[in-house]
Amino acid sequence: MMNHRLFPLVAVVMMFGSVPTVAGEFKLIANSSVKADSISTGELKKVFLEEKNALHDGTHVEPVLEKGGPAHQAFLRECLGSTDDDLQTYYRVLVFTGKGSMPKELGSDAEIVAYVAKTRGAIGYVSAEASAEGVKTLAIEDVRNGVERKLITRVEPAYPETLKRLNIGGTVRLQLTVAPKGNIESVQLLGGNPILAEAAVAAVKQWMYTPSHSRTTAEVSIPFDPKR
Amino acid sequence: MRRRILGLGFVCAWLCAGSISLRAQEFKVFGRTVQVHGFASQGFVYTNDNNWLTMNTSQGSAAFTDFGLNTSYQVTDKLRVGAQGYDRNLGQLGQYHPSLDWAVADYRFKSWLGIRGGKVKTTLGLYTDTQDLDFLQAFALLPQSVYPTDLREATIAHLGGDIYGDISLKHRLGDLSYTAYAGHRSDSIYSGYPYYLSSFGARITSFGGLQYGADLRWRNPVKGLLIGASRLNEDITGRGSALNPFNLAAGLVPYSEASKADWANQFYGRYTVGRLRIESEYRRYWRNQDLFNGTSESFADVHGWYVSGAYRICKRLQIGSYYSRYTITNTVAGALAAFYPPATDTSLPDNHDYDKVITGRVDLNKFWNVKIEGHFMNGYGSGPYPNGFYTQVNPQGFSPNTNALVLKTSLNF
Repeated sequence: MMNHRLFPLVAVVMMFGSVPTVAGEFKLIANSSVKADSISTGELKKVFLEEKNALHDGTHVEPVLEKGGPAHQAFLRECLGSTDDDLQTYYRVLVFTGKGSMPKELGSDAEIVAYVAKTRGAIGYVSAEASAEGVKTLAIEDVRNGVERKLITRVEPAYPETLKRLNIGGTVRLQLTVAPKGNIESVQLLGGNPILAEAAVAAVKQWMYTPSHSRTTAEVSIPFDPKR
Repeated sequence: MRRRILGLGFVCAWLCAGSISLRAQEFKVFGRTVQVHGFASQGFVYTNDNNWLTMNTSQGSAAFTDFGLNTSYQVTDKLRVGAQGYDRNLGQLGQYHPSLDWAVADYRFKSWLGIRGGKVKTTLGLYTDTQDLDFLQAFALLPQSVYPTDLREATIAHLGGDIYGDISLKHRLGDLSYTAYAGHRSDSIYSGYPYYLSSFGARITSFGGLQYGADLRWRNPVKGLLIGASRLNEDITGRGSALNPFNLAAGLVPYSEASKADWANQFYGRYTVGRLRIESEYRRYWRNQDLFNGTSESFADVHGWYVSGAYRICKRLQIGSYYSRYTITNTVAGALAAFYPPATDTSLPDNHDYDKVITGRVDLNKFWNVKIEGHFMNGYGSGPYPNGFYTQVNPQGFSPNTNALVLKTSLNF
């Protein structure tokens, strides 16, 4: 029996929880050997195009793809800017000219999570609702003005207890304005559950990036997984 | 003949089997994955007039087969090794003599710096390294002005090494990819140029030499736009024997030819928007060489360009068209000048080949496609450097126009 005091909260969640957010369609997962907690879209693209086999911190990485489905389509569209046909053609060029190999492709979220959990350096994506047991979830930073700034202090958001108990999760997308000194000047909500967003905003306001000579913006996706 | 029948039989069996079950093979060695991939294609060409690409196409010819098989292995996180075998039969060329297409060890230090060594596919323009891979292309035949399939050995690979990398530009200016290479080019004696020389009674036993160059391509901020430039330099020597044109009674005498200047510049662009892909390339090839043991010298200047468009109507169907333009001029100095008058008028069909092409590609599944293509050619560009039309298979002489129907199917896994 649901606690009556939770009704308004659940109503709000139901109302806003269905707001379509692109990053909400998938989440990025990685093997525990990957040190980073977040990755920029530029770096992520290079990893999946096999132009990079290590992250900026030196961690070895290898991409894992899903064979199809909404998470795969959303990932291609948002992170690689490519269609499935174009990506397959790209990989075949690498394979048949000796310039690369075909990345691992798996058929379901469960297979990807299992493979990523046991494979050193593996990075993959699964639907936002999939269990991420045994793997870590990476935030995606979309650096808007081409200046990549490293995140040096990251504070994890506190999961609202009620939502966790109700098994409600998702991904919050935020656009951050980062001051030249590295502190967060302002945060704009781009999508996601508003209650989770409140927790996410409170956390990211404490983040620090490396200094830069100018103000920059970054888009981050923060996943909330109730099973973790 | 027996080799041809065996080869064709193998490919046909593979094509049939492919529709039943076809998948890349993977297995583990010392905990790391070994991948095995392959491809095959079979074509048929019919022309209304001149025989084309060394085939007897005016009667209809299916002597248009190729296949390859590769394996690769990730030795360490940064080191990968692999090799591919390739074989083809194109009319009088290839003749099912297999070759090592590439065999590389590739070490990537950083995204901006990697090295690969061994027999390496040459990066020159959009398609030099992938010209054999029919399943990747919208067209059954790439524009022959820039990618002459009869001369694939001239640019396909070098025994040496590449330095390569990808650099992200600041301020969202896109990405640069570079490749610099040097090595030894070695042509098969079953390739187009030795076959061309055989029309003069020459029997080439070796043909190759130093090849070096670079490629720079820019994926720029305009979404879907790629532009690039390539440069190739060569120092090539051919050896064998030939009839002495000044004394035919002497029979075969030693023959050699060697580069004095041999280079190509190529500029290219590709724009992809939605289901539409538009491409254009321009290649200039300049060749100055000593002929017949240094008694003569030739100067050939080749210009080739094309504009192409391909549109994917639906998942299974793609259509495309291109216009390809090839011109060549040539002069010979020295003792052989008397035999070869200057060829400088590119309006003559002997010195050009203009090709209008329409194509349709049907993807039967992810691994198997069928193409039908029409070529409407003016000129035959059969001058001092071959371009698809050879006198040996056209003993009656050339007609100025050639229409061709090309059917092709290919598989990959």
